Amino acid sequence: MRKGIILLLVFVFQKNYSQELFVVTDPASNVPANTLSVRLSQSLFKEEFVSGYNYHLMPEVTYGLNKNLMFRASAFVSNRNSQLVTEGGSFYTKYRIYSTDDLNSHFRLAAFGRYSFNNSDIHQEQIEIMGHNSGFETGFVATKLIKKVAISSSVSFEKAFDNKPNYPFPEDFGDSATNYTLSFGKLIYPKKYTNFKQTNINLMVEFVGQTINENGKSYLDVVPAIQFIINSQARIDLAYRQELLSSMLRTAPNGIYLNLEYNFFNAFK
Amino acid sequence: MKKINNTYLLTAATLIMMLLGTNTYSQISKAEIRATGLTCSMCSNAINKQLKSLPEVVNIETDLNTNTFTVTLTEGNTLSPKVFKEKVEKAGFFIGSLVLTTNAETIKKDGYILVNDTSNNNAEVQIQILDKGYVTDKEFKKLSKSLKNIVTYTSNNEDDFHIKYLN
Repeated sequence: MRKGIILLLVFVFQKNYSQELFVVTDPASNVPANTLSVRLSQSLFKEEFVSGYNYHLMPEVTYGLNKNLMFRASAFVSNRNSQLVTEGGSFYTKYRIYSTDDLNSHFRLAAFGRYSFNNSDIHQEQIEIMGHNSGFETGFVATKLIKKVAISSSVSFEKAFDNKPNYPFPEDFGDSATNYTLSFGKLIYPKKYTNFKQTNINLMVEFVGQTINENGKSYLDVVPAIQFIINSQARIDLAYRQELLSSMLRTAPNGIYLNLEYNFFNAFK
Repeated sequence: MKKINNTYLLTAATLIMMLLGTNTYSQISKAEIRATGLTCSMCSNAINKQLKSLPEVVNIETDLNTNTFTVTLTEGNTLSPKVFKEKVEKAGFFIGSLVLTTNAETIKKDGYILVNDTSNNNAEVQIQILDKGYVTDKEFKKLSKSLKNIVTYTSNNEDDFHIKYLN
């Protein structure tokens, strides 16, 4: 696995076209104004303490209100209770604060906020408001394109609430966390564009970490991914998430993602 | 009856002429837009779709490797260069260069300010817009220095277009 990661990093750092449509983290760039993006995210994570897999289905709708502001609504469905149940939802917004572009580079800075609700049982110390905890998250993300390599990094504050109505947040867990991410992306195909119909293939690697503010417990994961952009309009992501370090209780840290996305440009007149 | 019709036509013609007379930015026949800050075809497509939403657009040729969009426009359109900037920025990107093909009469009207004294006798001219938002940030910084004596350039009025001839 480690060898694989190093190989992937070598790939990513080679100079070529790069991409920033990351799988786990959102870059500082927004969806275009008046574009409606529909995404179906799926994840299958292996349970550590019981046998079986934890399946999550997450339908999402994203809309670009103007060039700087976008909104996203998500629903969380999972099989934690042996059958597929809708456990909650989430609202997300991102505002691009700063951009500076040059022919072969750009830098963008954005602020984001997310509010989620969830009614499932709380079963781990990791705070994850994308499908596990009720709570909110707010932070900044910066994305830089240097020559032809895209690098994106974010820092955020995340706070968990009770998973109402039945599951109060455990008192012996820390209920707030600092999250940090670092992502790299690169376009590997085509070497030269000919038209919009060409399928693009991107390789990415992302590092995702969290520290619980109350007790300093942390984890760090790596997420290598391959992404296909079809017809300049649709997107398929296949990613694998692997825990590198952890000092906290996590019930299913390792697994795969399969995301499908379709963009409706100029969605409304 | 015929007389009334004639009067009607005459009034209409006068109105059209008045409209044309006050119109500042007529007759951009072609716009060559180079966008900055992107390398993905989905990003280019976002710009492509934004431009296509303009009813005045007849055709768009795209070079995905340089992110250059060559936009052919309907005859007699009254588009302002501002429209292209707005569309590219709506897609989430910026203009790195904007070159317009237009007739020589158009740029003699208000709003267009020639920054160098070179004369051009062509009926059809190619001009580049030099204002902030129409060139890269780096180029704008350079131009701000070299054009610091042009008061209108430094005042950044968004309805003034500072231009230079390319042909």
